[in-house]
Amino acid sequence: MADFRHHLTLYARLLGAQIRSQGAHRTSFMLDALGSLLITAAEFAALALVLPRFGGLGGWTLGEICLLYGLAELAFVLMDILFGGFDAPNLSTHVRTGSFSTFLLRPAPLTLQVFASDFALRRIPRVLLAAAIAGYGLTHAPLAAGPETAALLGAAVLGMICFFGGLFVIGGTLTFWTVDSVEAMNVLTYGGRTLISYPMDIYSAWLRRTFTYLIPAAFLSYLPALHLLGRPLPDGLPGWAALIGPLAGPLVLAGAFAFWRVGVRRYQGTGT
Amino acid sequence: MTTTPAPPTGGPVSRLSRLALPWAVTRLGFQRQFAYPQAALWGLITNSFFGLLRVAVLLALFGTRPQVAGYTPQDAITYTGLTQAFIMAFSLFGWFDFMRVIHRGEVTADLLRPASLLGFWAAQDAGRALGQLALRGLPMLLIFQVIWGLNWPPGPLAWAQVTLSVLLAWACGFLFRFLVNCAAFWSPDAVGFGRFAWAVLGLGCGFLMPLAFFPEWFRALLAWTPFPGMLNTVVELWVGVTTGPAAWAALGTQLGWTLALLLACQVTLRAGLRRLEVAGG
Repeated sequence: MADFRHHLTLYARLLGAQIRSQGAHRTSFMLDALGSLLITAAEFAALALVLPRFGGLGGWTLGEICLLYGLAELAFVLMDILFGGFDAPNLSTHVRTGSFSTFLLRPAPLTLQVFASDFALRRIPRVLLAAAIAGYGLTHAPLAAGPETAALLGAAVLGMICFFGGLFVIGGTLTFWTVDSVEAMNVLTYGGRTLISYPMDIYSAWLRRTFTYLIPAAFLSYLPALHLLGRPLPDGLPGWAALIGPLAGPLVLAGAFAFWRVGVRRYQGTGT
Repeated sequence: MTTTPAPPTGGPVSRLSRLALPWAVTRLGFQRQFAYPQAALWGLITNSFFGLLRVAVLLALFGTRPQVAGYTPQDAITYTGLTQAFIMAFSLFGWFDFMRVIHRGEVTADLLRPASLLGFWAAQDAGRALGQLALRGLPMLLIFQVIWGLNWPPGPLAWAQVTLSVLLAWACGFLFRFLVNCAAFWSPDAVGFGRFAWAVLGLGCGFLMPLAFFPEWFRALLAWTPFPGMLNTVVELWVGVTTGPAAWAALGTQLGWTLALLLACQVTLRAGLRRLEVAGG
């Protein structure tokens, strides 16, 4: 327990240093934050502006889509802030330049240092926007207010943070072996985020099934959302499948960290 | 005894040799794109996957409607194929090359070349764009053709207009990117400014959604910007949403914005270089 508290203090200190350094150039920070916010805003505006002309998307209203879109975006941006250090482009830079080897020399847990190595504060405004979109969804979708709804939504967001965090850890670990092919992980991370931002019944059956049973993305928020909206689950899945859904995330994250430990043990550096 | 090279035989430099440098720069820019075939392959796979998702969203929007705002579902698929094919050629996700050269002070080396700075970068980017079009644009169109089938321009006139429009879209887009990169002369924070600009471009040029689907007030707003000419015009000419006199008017608008941006680039560049001189960077 004392160990854990020590690590928490250490993490807070490393973050404090990051925050101070990112605050040094105020204009740069403001513009970067604004640009980052605008990416989400533009993507969402493109959907929200055209939806009135079409009435809905595959039988889903704007409010219901906002619920899916907002939850996925909120979880992904929070995950990006937490796990940014593991993202393949960041970690591969550390591996290539040899600064990863200096992590190994320091008297602090390696994983903790990677966690704290890229805490991008500029994404905070994006979190607020995502929360606002999710909030619009919560108030405009026919949800039953109650502790069960709140618990399931909270679990869905946490599950998604774990799931995408796990994918970042796997992608980062792959950079120990190869620097090139990690682009393929983008299909799963950014592609997966986009995929689950929309009702999954709009995709062809093979695509939806791949991202339900092979890669358990549908369990993260789509099935819980269907359950809360009182819609039937696809493929005749039983109702409880929606409730166990959020567990998929922690399972992926646990597997990812096991892979990470193997990678770190094999890590030899690039000689730089 | 040393020999001095013979002086030029008088008269103006022939037009052919004046084109030799930009041509060489374009060719090198083209060839450079083929240095990392593996990265290109993964890029193609990623773009195809996103294309798949975007087609699903657009078809779900259409539902059973046969036509919306002049687009049929098949036109919407063609729109997606075209936009995915042009992402890299038109650098729709951002372009920071010239900015980096300014920040590092390497722009001074560029100035030593016997060519205009803007012309040199335009030639290089033309080669880069052509390389990306060959490496990733055409395969993307082929993939879309095989999976969903594309609508193609109906005749020689439409093909000519589309080709002209693609050239103008590249020129207009390049000049806009160059102008944004010029911010680096004034600010070390230009990267944030750039990210901001690309986000606006993505929405304004019709990359995220066909502009015809947007509400009237939003399209009226965009009509005052050069962004639709950087992608949306190409799509509308290709699928035949814009035809006849409207097609020539659209091309004229593209040309007008290209000339306006060219002027803006030249003025900004001159001011930026003067500032560089003062700062001694």
